[in-house]
Amino acid sequence: MRAFIVRRLLLGLVVVLGLTVVTFFIARVVPSDPAARWVGPRATVEQIERARVKLGLDKPIYIQYLRYMGDLLRGDWGVSIVTHQPVLRDIATYLPASLELTFYGMLLAIIVGIPLGVLSAVHKDRAVDHLSRAFSIGAVSLPTFWVAMVFQLVFFGYLHILPLGGQLDMAVKLAYSIPRVTGMYTVDALLAGNWTVFLNALEHLVLPAVTLATYPVGLITRMLRSSMLEVSNEDYIRVARAYGLPEGRVIYVYALKNAIGPTITVIALTFAYSLAGTFLIEAVYNWPGLGHYAADAVLAADYPAIMGVTIVVAFFYVLLNLLVDIIHAVLDPRIKTV
Amino acid sequence: MPVNGRLARVLAAAVVVSLVAAGAAAGCGKTTKTPTVAVYASANQPIVFWDPSDSYSNEIIVMNNIYETLLRYDPAKDKLIPVLATSYQVSPDGLTWTFELRKGVKFHTGNEMTADAVKASIERTMKRGMGASFIWSAVKEIKVLDRYKVEFDLSYPAPLDMICASGYGAHIFDPSVVQANGEDWFAAGHEAGTGPYMLESFTGKEEVVLTKFPDYWGGWKGQHFDKIVFQEVSEASTRAQMVQAGQADFVDNLPIEQIDRLRSDPNVAITQTPSFQNLLGFFNTAKPPLDNVLVREALSYAVPYDQIITEVMKGTATQGQGPVPKGMWGHDDSLPQPTYDLAKAKQLLTQAGFPNGGFKLVLTYASGDETERRVAELYKASLAQLGINLEIRGMPWEPQWDLAKATKPADRQDIFVMYWWPDYCTPYSWLNAMFHSEDTINFNLGYYKNPEYDKLIDEAQKLSGSNRAQAVEEFKQAQKILCNDWVAIYFFDQNYVRAMRADFKGYVDNPAYPHVVFFYNTYRGSK
Repeated sequence: MRAFIVRRLLLGLVVVLGLTVVTFFIARVVPSDPAARWVGPRATVEQIERARVKLGLDKPIYIQYLRYMGDLLRGDWGVSIVTHQPVLRDIATYLPASLELTFYGMLLAIIVGIPLGVLSAVHKDRAVDHLSRAFSIGAVSLPTFWVAMVFQLVFFGYLHILPLGGQLDMAVKLAYSIPRVTGMYTVDALLAGNWTVFLNALEHLVLPAVTLATYPVGLITRMLRSSMLEVSNEDYIRVARAYGLPEGRVIYVYALKNAIGPTITVIALTFAYSLAGTFLIEAVYNWPGLGHYAADAVLAADYPAIMGVTIVVAFFYVLLNLLVDIIHAVLDPRIKTV
Repeated sequence: MPVNGRLARVLAAAVVVSLVAAGAAAGCGKTTKTPTVAVYASANQPIVFWDPSDSYSNEIIVMNNIYETLLRYDPAKDKLIPVLATSYQVSPDGLTWTFELRKGVKFHTGNEMTADAVKASIERTMKRGMGASFIWSAVKEIKVLDRYKVEFDLSYPAPLDMICASGYGAHIFDPSVVQANGEDWFAAGHEAGTGPYMLESFTGKEEVVLTKFPDYWGGWKGQHFDKIVFQEVSEASTRAQMVQAGQADFVDNLPIEQIDRLRSDPNVAITQTPSFQNLLGFFNTAKPPLDNVLVREALSYAVPYDQIITEVMKGTATQGQGPVPKGMWGHDDSLPQPTYDLAKAKQLLTQAGFPNGGFKLVLTYASGDETERRVAELYKASLAQLGINLEIRGMPWEPQWDLAKATKPADRQDIFVMYWWPDYCTPYSWLNAMFHSEDTINFNLGYYKNPEYDKLIDEAQKLSGSNRAQAVEEFKQAQKILCNDWVAIYFFDQNYVRAMRADFKGYVDNPAYPHVVFFYNTYRGSK
C-alpha cells in the first residue's frame, strides 16, 4: 500500500507540473493587458510600459515560465495583479474560507444524498422514489445563483431568520478577536472556546452550504440509486438474504458497500471542483473564497493568481483522487494496490 | 427489496432534527456591546493601491479618510477649504505659491506634520511617477521656508491650489516610515496619514476596517463613528438588501431599478447630486466615414438623448452640453446642444454622400455596465433607421483600450464609449486628456489632432492659477472648437444617486471626490 501511495503522489506531481505549463500558456491567449490592470484605470502609456518591465511581461513566454517556476520552488508565488498582494498570502486568506464552505456543503450533500439514494433504490417506483427523482433532477437543474438569491430573499428578506451573507456579523467580528489558526471561523472559534463566534459562523454557513449542496445532492442521489439497483441483482445479495440475514444488514453492509464506489469518486471530484468553482455562490453571499478570487484573476489576466489557484486546486484533485483510490481499495480488497 | 420502513423514518427524522437543532442553536448566538460602526458597501474592491503616492483607483474612498491634503475643494461654493494648510498666497505671475501649515497636526505614527514632511511627501510622489503624480508636473522646486511654511516654485503657471486639493496623488504622509522601512512598506498594507481614521485591519482585498485616530487635530467633540468598515460586495442585489437591513450605511453603484425599489423604504434615504462624471462617445476622426465632419454631425443628431435620460437614467442625468459637465467652472452654458432629429441627420448624411447610410460602424463600451449597454442598444436602433449598421461590443476595460491602441488604425473601433471624471477640478482634465493631440495613444480615443486647440487649452491651463477669468474665456473657446468639429457625443452628465440609511447623517456628496464619504463629518442620528 505504501508503495502505491508514493507512486500515486509522484504521478500527481507530474500532473500538476503539466497543468502549470498548459495553464501558463493558455492564460496568455486571453486578450487582456495585465500591465494596464496593475497600474489602474487612469494610467499613462509610460506608466504601463514601466509596469510591463517591472512585472517581467516584456520577456519571451518561456523565459517568463521558467522564471515563475524558479520563484515557485523558492516559495515565491508572485504578486497578484488585481490585489497587489503576494499570491501565497491571498491563497492563505481565501483557501480556508473555501475549504470550510465546501466541507459543510459536501457534508450536507452526503448526509442527505446517500440515505435518499438508498431509499429510492429500496422503494423503487414507489412514492419515495418518484419524489426523490423530482427532487434530485430539480436540484441539478436549478441554476446555483438563482437558488442562492431565492434563499437569501426568503430566509433573510422575508423570514429574517438567517443572515444575508458574509462569514460573521460585523458586530461579532469587531467585538471578538480570535487567533487565526486555520482561517476557518468554525474551527478557530472552537479552538479558542468562543461559542458566540462559533454559532454565528455556523449561522452564516447555513445558506451558502445548502446552496452549494444543491447540485451534489442531486448527483449523489441519482448515482447511488442506480448503483444500488445494479448491485441488488447480484448473486451475493440473494445469497445473503437466503441465509436469513436482517434486511438492514443486507442493504447497508453488503449492497451499499459495493455500490458506493462510483458515488465516492463523484463526491471527491465535486469537492475539488467546488473549491474554486463556486464563485457565483461566493458572489451572492459575499463569501471571501477562492472562486471569487479566481474569477477576478481570469478576467484581469492576473497570471500569478491564475497559476496559484490552478496549482492549489490541482493539488486537491490529486489528493482527493488518491484518497478515493485508497477507499476503493479498502472497500474492495480485490483491487490491486501493489 | 422489502425493508424495515422504520429505519428510513428514523434516518429522516435524524436529519431533520439535526438541521433544526443547528438552526435553533445558531439563533441563540447573541452579540455584546460594540463600538459605533459605519459600513460602506462598494461594488469594487476598496483598496487597489495602499501607497498614497501611487493611488489612482477605487481606494480614493478609503485614502481620503486615512490621509489628508493641504486643501479641500468645495464645488458647490467654488471655494477651497483649509485642511492641512491654513492659508496660502500666490505671486502675481502664478509661479510661486506659499502655504502656511496647520500647527500641531500629528501623523498616525506619532510624529508631527511639518513643512519638511510636506516637501518629502510630494517629492516622493513626483519621483515615483505613478498614479496621478502628473498633477505636480509644473512644480520645479519645493522649499521649506520655516517649520510650518512651504513654498512651491513652478516652471510654468498652474492652479496649484486646486492641484493640492486633488483626491488623488496629493496626500501628505509621514516620510520617516519610508526611510525606516523602505519603499515597499506602504504596498504591504500600511499607512502613515494624518486623517481622522487609521487602519485597524484588512482582509484580502474585500474588507478594510478603520478606527478612530485619538490624536486627530480636529478633535472628537460631538458625534462621530468609532470604526469604519469598507466592504467589497460585488452583487448589487446583496448591497441593496444590506442597506435595507441596516447592515450597510452607505452603498454605491446601485442600478436604477434597485434605487427605485428603495425609495419607498422609510429606513433608506436616497440622495441625488450633480456630479462631475459624464459619459462620452468618441468618434474615430482618423477613419472613414467618421473622418468627415458632416457624418459626425449627422450621427450626433441621431442620438436619442431624451430617451436615454428618461428610460435608461430614469431622470438621474442631464444631456451633456459639451465635454465639460455643468457645474464645473469653465463650463460653457452657451454651447449648442444637438437634439434627437433623424430628419436633420438624414439630410446631413445626404450632404455627405450617404443618403441611405449603407456603412457599418463598431462601437465599444465597458462590458458589465448596464447603462452603457442600454445606451448603445438605443443608439443602434436609431442608426438602423438611417441605414447604418452599428455593431456594439461590450469589452472589459483592458481589451477595449487595447483595441483603441491597435497598431493597425483600420482595426480600431469607430466609436469609443467611456465615462470620465476629473483628477482635480479643472476643465483641463477633460479637454486635455481626451482631446489634446497625442503621439502615443492614451485617452484621446477619437484621435483628434488640432494644434490650434492644443495651444489654446495649454495656455488656458497656465492662466487658471493666476487669472481665472481669462482662463475661463479660453477654455470656452476651446469647447466651441470641439463642438464645431463634432468630435464626440456628449451623452449625459451624470447625477450621483446614493442609497444610505436614513439615520446616517452628515453626509454631503462632494463631486470633486467621487464616491468619497468623509466619515469624520457623519454620525448616527435619528431618522
